[in-house]
Parts: sequence; structure tokens; C-alpha cells
Amino acid sequence: MQTGVINRRRFLRAGGVCVAGAMLVPRLAAQEANAVQQGAANIEMPQTAYKAVSLPKKANAKPLVAQLERDELERGLKCACPCKLDVFTCRTTDFACGISPAMHSDVVRLVDGGYSADEIIAAFTTVYGERVLMAPVKEGFNIAGYAVPFVTLGIGATMLVALLRRWRRETESAVPALASKSVLPISGGMPAATDDEMRRLQAAVRGEPDR
Amino acid sequence: MILLGELSLWVSLLMAIWMMTVSYAGGATRRGELVLSGQRATYATLFFVVMASIGLWTALFTHDFSLKFVASYTSANLPKVYLFSAFWAGQSGSMLFWALILAGFSAVAVFSNRAKNRELMPWVTGTLGVILIFFIGTIIFAANPYDRLEWVPPDGRGMNPQLQNPGMAIHPPMLYLGWVGTSIPFAFAIGALVTRRLDTDWLAAIRRWSLISWFFLTIGLVLGMWWAYVELGWGGYWAWDPVENAPLTSWLCQTAFLHSIMIQEKRGMLRKWNVTLVIAAFLLSILGTFLTRSGVIESVHSFAQSPIGNYFSTFLILIFVVTTVLVMTRLKDMEAKAQLESMISREAAFLYNNLVLVGIAFSVLWGTLFPIISEAVRGTKITVGPPFFNSVNVPLGLGLLALTGIGPLIAWRRASVANVRRQFVFPVLAGLTTGTVLMVLGMRAFYPIIAYILVGFVVGTISQEFYKGTAARMRMYAENVVVASLRLIGNNRRRYGGYIVHLGVAMIFAAFAGFAFKKEFDVSLKTGEVFKATDPFGHAWTFTSQGVSEYKRLNRYVTAVGLAVTRDGKPMPVLSSEKRQHVDSNDQPTFEPSTEVGLYETTMQDVYMVFSGMIGPDQAEMRLSFNPLVWWVWYGGMVMAIGGLIVMWPQAEKKRQGGYVTMLTPGSEIPTTVGAGA
Repeated sequence: MQTGVINRRRFLRAGGVCVAGAMLVPRLAAQEANAVQQGAANIEMPQTAYKAVSLPKKANAKPLVAQLERDELERGLKCACPCKLDVFTCRTTDFACGISPAMHSDVVRLVDGGYSADEIIAAFTTVYGERVLMAPVKEGFNIAGYAVPFVTLGIGATMLVALLRRWRRETESAVPALASKSVLPISGGMPAATDDEMRRLQAAVRGEPDR
Repeated sequence: MILLGELSLWVSLLMAIWMMTVSYAGGATRRGELVLSGQRATYATLFFVVMASIGLWTALFTHDFSLKFVASYTSANLPKVYLFSAFWAGQSGSMLFWALILAGFSAVAVFSNRAKNRELMPWVTGTLGVILIFFIGTIIFAANPYDRLEWVPPDGRGMNPQLQNPGMAIHPPMLYLGWVGTSIPFAFAIGALVTRRLDTDWLAAIRRWSLISWFFLTIGLVLGMWWAYVELGWGGYWAWDPVENAPLTSWLCQTAFLHSIMIQEKRGMLRKWNVTLVIAAFLLSILGTFLTRSGVIESVHSFAQSPIGNYFSTFLILIFVVTTVLVMTRLKDMEAKAQLESMISREAAFLYNNLVLVGIAFSVLWGTLFPIISEAVRGTKITVGPPFFNSVNVPLGLGLLALTGIGPLIAWRRASVANVRRQFVFPVLAGLTTGTVLMVLGMRAFYPIIAYILVGFVVGTISQEFYKGTAARMRMYAENVVVASLRLIGNNRRRYGGYIVHLGVAMIFAAFAGFAFKKEFDVSLKTGEVFKATDPFGHAWTFTSQGVSEYKRLNRYVTAVGLAVTRDGKPMPVLSSEKRQHVDSNDQPTFEPSTEVGLYETTMQDVYMVFSGMIGPDQAEMRLSFNPLVWWVWYGGMVMAIGGLIVMWPQAEKKRQGGYVTMLTPGSEIPTTVGAGA
């Protein structure tokens, strides 16, 4: 047998050894056999995720937030259940969630206690942390979150324009050279046609379909 | 059959390993018999994956609850159609479904190229083998649908009620077809990079595959929106959830590629960029799967803390490193003579369009990953929800919509001032007229107004293009308007199919803008009580509670509330929303109660009702909303799909050649020839 050449028999033998080795390796699945596997939207409700948000009622408290504003405020607060919805949508939808109604009750109590929308949001942020807000506040590091897409796009646009300008310069400087090679007479400063363009032009004149 | 299926899964892994090894060996040594063996291994892999799938379907239909998968996602009283779709209702089954589609696509790609692209194909087959090894290996070692329980339960847990919807029987297969479809162009890109054959040949081979992938992703995304809208009950169709964002980023990259491929075909430019986009679309499909299945990011669709995340992250890193090295070492091979005569040309417009599409893809990915980045940098968990994505992506989306209208109006190579003026007059007038009419009617919201002006502009552009082409044909060939329009599209499928896709995009943007005027109400009604509301179009509606009824149907107990509805005093169809408690065959509750929404749909708006619960014995709590223009999302999706079909529909090669021969015959007339070839 010629050394260094893989024939079918040697290949099969080597393959068999590899497969046997693979079978002996402890099955990786066993490492996390008990891992929770649940289907889409099969959400477990950790009812302990709810934390009461309460503040003492202000003296001579009058509600500063009307019902529609309160609903809007709740749309800015994320329900503490894993549904990813805001409090208003979660409590008026059906995810069998007991958390969003409780958070809604807290909002209603704070509204009745004379607190403004900003004060209510601040109270919820203090208790739950920043993640209770449906979108990060535009301050500090979060500004990067809002700015990076536009900055990146701006850099991309600048680079693209620079590239296009370079290509245009190169094309303009190449036109005289192309003109001398062209199979078509060039007049009036018209750029030369490439072979591919000529082929497509002739096809179009003949009425062939666009491919 | 079930045992045979389990065994077939293992054999399919061996076949995929063989497929990869001999194909790469055949490519490296240029030995035809190895390449042929690799091709046959592809078909064998498909055969064994099909057997493994049949085995699982058999287990589902025969209620073999000894399998953990069957016991977890079905029950004895589950309707048959959902026994079929239960295949992809859980993680391990959906992975097998993914492998099934990939094996099928691989076999078709290998078969259809068996006599073409001979230098590329061994590397393409080998790369598809690598991807198959990864998926089948992950299924076997980390998410095996054939895993057995230590005891056999009398009944299964049943399927999540929200998955018991016709949309769920279609949406995941469509999405998977689209996502898995990115593997074929990726494999060709690897083949082209390895063999350094980076001209337009490999692009010709993958153009249709990219279109197929794009087509299915489009349908999958729209069906997903529809399912979320009618089934989840939160009243919208897009929540910027990671599982929605993942296919969207892949779709955006593919859309960019389908535009930039034209520049490489026509001008030979953008070779590096096109290779990058093909690779990015595939990597994003793997990244998206990793994000949604690893539990690293919170998602409604997350499959909890699954071990397959480790497999996906390893594979992702491996593929990223290999492709980066390949691209970096082939940069010189991808050098092309760039020719650009003007910044205002079709070529430049395509590049601006690519910039915005990739910019949106990046911003969506960035927003999806930002919670992880923030936690890593600041140690603080944050939520990045719809307000963030909307604030970033609405301006970018409007920029994209503008380019959708501008691109077709600009000539290739160089647009003269006269050309620009002539082309833009009608579309700009169409856009401004739309905006003016809406402002006169009282619309004041900034972004929707801009959106509708741009929608008018895009529709104006498309109408003008169709009008000019049809009128030219009517003049030249004396055809009537219907024949001229059909032949115009038939003879220029890429161009006019593309315009039809653009029309679908405009319709969807119009629907998105309309949704900004949604009105919703939190309502509590006792039997006989009335709620009055005014919709965004100014119509007065009344909703009178007809009371609550309770009954059992199929595998569920139902509590339903009905509302008698009038609009401007005229009676409308009764609205009814249900709360369902699903039970197993022993009448035991399986899941938390779910809700079926009540819908009255028209092209102008939907009246959407969600029964959220009972407050007292006779008092129902519900959410009522007027959702404007929602149907235009579904119509727009259909129009995009039709446009996509037109673009990828094959030309009749023989007939065209026949026409060409006829034309060269002395004395024949061009119009006759064109008619024959059309």
C-alpha cells in the first residue's frame, strides 16, 4: 500500500475509530439533562418578583395624573413578570399575571396620594431598579445606546461618500484611456461603454428579456 | 418506527461527517470519486434525517408519552393538526425540523449543481456538511427529541394554548425555510473564497437561493406578526422581541445583498461587500438562534436556560474566525476595477440603500444586545423595549422608504439634471399631495405625516415606471393595456417584480404609520351596560355587554363575553372574546388560562377586544381598541411575496432561445420575435 495516500478502506477504518471514540465520550446532554426546556410563551410566573412601591400620602393630596395619563405612565413601566410587556398591556391582556395588577394598584395609590408622573416613575425605579423602565433613561452610559446607531451610520455614510468620490476620480481619469480602446466612436464627452454594457444594449435593442 | 427514527438520527450524523470529509478531501485533491461520494452522502444524510423526522412524527401521532418531547408538548386529546405542528413546538423538535430543512436544501443545491460549478461544489458540499454536523450533533448531544422519561405518564402536558393556532402550523416552517436558506449562499461564499473564484459565477449560482431565503423570511415575518396580533392578545403585531429582531436583521442583510448583487453583475464592483453580506446573513441567523435559545437575553420566546446556547456560541465563534481569516486572505482576489461616473446614479443609490439597510440591521442588533452590554459595563440591568427601538429605527426606516422611491428614478451611470427633473416631478407631486390632503383632514403628527408623504412618493415612482413601460409597449407593439402590462412584467421580472415588492413595502409603512393613531380603552361592563367611544376616523361606537357564557369545547373550558356593537347608530357584527382553560384527557388543567381576542376587521381599521378577566360574578374586564390600517400589513406582506415570486420565477430558456433564432432569420421582424419569446 502506498503510504501517504488515503484509500477508502483506510479512511473507513479511521472513521470507525473516530465514531467509537465519540460514542465513548460521556454524552454532553447529560451535563444539563435537567435543564428546563419550555416552549414559546410558556411563561413561569415568579410571583415573588412583585415588590410593593408605596409612599406616604401627601397632605391635601389631589390626583395630578388623569386616567389617560396614568395609562400612558403604565405603558412606560415594565411588568416584573417575564412577559416583556408594559404594565398597562400586561394587566389588560392575558398572561395569567398577578404582578401587573399589583403594580397597577401601586400606581393608582401613588396617583391618589398626590404624586406626579415623574415622582411615580422615580419611586418605581428606586424599588425595582432601572430595568423597570421600558426604555433606558437618556443619561450617562445609556446615551451610547441611543447614539451608537446614528454615529455608526454617520461614519458609514462618510466612508461611503469618500469611497464614491475616489471611484469617481479614478473613473474620470480612466475615461481617456477607455476611449482609445473603445469599439464605439465616442463623441461629446460621453463615457465609453464596456463590453458587458454593449452586450446588454444590443440585447435590449433586439427586445430580449432582461435577465 | 420510533426506534428506527432514533437510530437514523445517529446514522445521519455519520453521513454528514462523511459528506464533509470526502467533499473537502475531494476538493483539495481534485479526485472526482471523492466528490461524487460527498454528493451521495448528501442524499443519504437527507434520507436518514427524513427517517428520524418520520420517527418523531410517528411518536407524536401514536402518543408515545415515554418520549419526554411527546409528553412535554402534546396530550391525548390534542387535535391532529396540532400533533403534526407539535414537531416544532419544543426546542429539540424544532432543531430536528431545522436539520430536516437544511438536509433537504443541501440535497437540492447539490443535485441542481451536479454538472455545474465543478470547482466550487466540493467545498460547498463540505461546508453544508459542517453545518449539518453541527445541527445534528447538537440535537443528539444537547436537545434530543428521542430522550426518554424514566416512567410513562398516562397523558402528556399538552401544547401551549397559544401555539394551538393555524398560524403556528405555518409560521415556523416559513421562518425556518428562510433562515436555513441562508446556509446555501453561505456555503457557496465559502467555496468561492477557498477556490478564489470570486467573479460573478458563484453569485449566479446563489441569486435564486438568496431570493428563496428572502421570500420565505418575508412570509415568515409577516405570518409571525399576524400570529402575535390574533393570538397573544396584547394588541400589536411587533414588539421588538429578540426572536423577532433576529430574523429581521438577517432579512435586512439579505435585502441589502439582493440590491448590491446587481452592481456586481452589471459593473463587477462590490465583491468584498457582497461576500460580507452573505456571510453576515448566515452568522446573524446563528446569532439569533443563540440569543433566543440560550436564555442570555430575556424573551417571551426564550427556551429557558438551555444547554444548546454553548453549542451555538462555540459554532458562531468558529464560523466567525474561519470566515474572517478566509476573507482577509482573499482581499486581493476580490479587488475589482470600480467605475463610478456620478454620485447621482443608480449605482450610488444602491449603495446608499445598502448603507441604510445595514444601518437598521446594526441598530436592531445593537438594541437587542444593549442590555447585555450595559450589564457588563455598568453592572445594571436595563430594559430595551419598543420606545428605544422606535426612537432609533423610525428615522432610519423613513430614510429607507425615501430611497425606495428615489432609486428607480435615477439612471445607471450618470443622471443628468434634466433626467432628474423629468423623473422626479410626478412622484414628488404625488407625495406632497398626499401630505397636503392628510394635513387638511387634520393629521398633525410629525412622523406619520412624513411617512405618508414618502409612501405617496414611492407609489408615485412605481406608478410612473409601470405607466412608462406599459405605454411604450402599447405604442411599439399595438398591445392593449392588460397584455402590455403583463408582458412588461413577464419580460422584465427582476425589475418590475422588484417594483411590486417596493409597493408592498410602501403599504406596510402606511400601515405602521396608521398604527400610531391607535386608541385603546380599559373597560369594565356588567350585562346590559354600554360603553361609548369614538374611533380615530371620528365614528361613534357603542358596545353593549351581552353577558358571560361558560361551556366546554374540545380540549378546553371556555368563558366568553359578547358585545353588541353599533357604529354611528348602525348595528355591526357581535364581538366576542374568550378565556380558555385547556385540560388534558383526565380533565386536569394543563396551562394557565389563555385568551382569544375578538376582532372586527375592515381595511380601514380593526376593532380589537381582549377579555382579560371577571371582576365580579357578572362584571367582565376587557380592553377595547381601534387599530387603524392593520390589514395593510397583511396585504403588504402578500404583495411583497407576489413580487418576490415574480422576481425568482425562472425565465423560459428554450422559448427565449427560439425567439433569438427566429430573430436572426433574414426577413423576420423584431416585434414578431419578441412576442414569440415573451
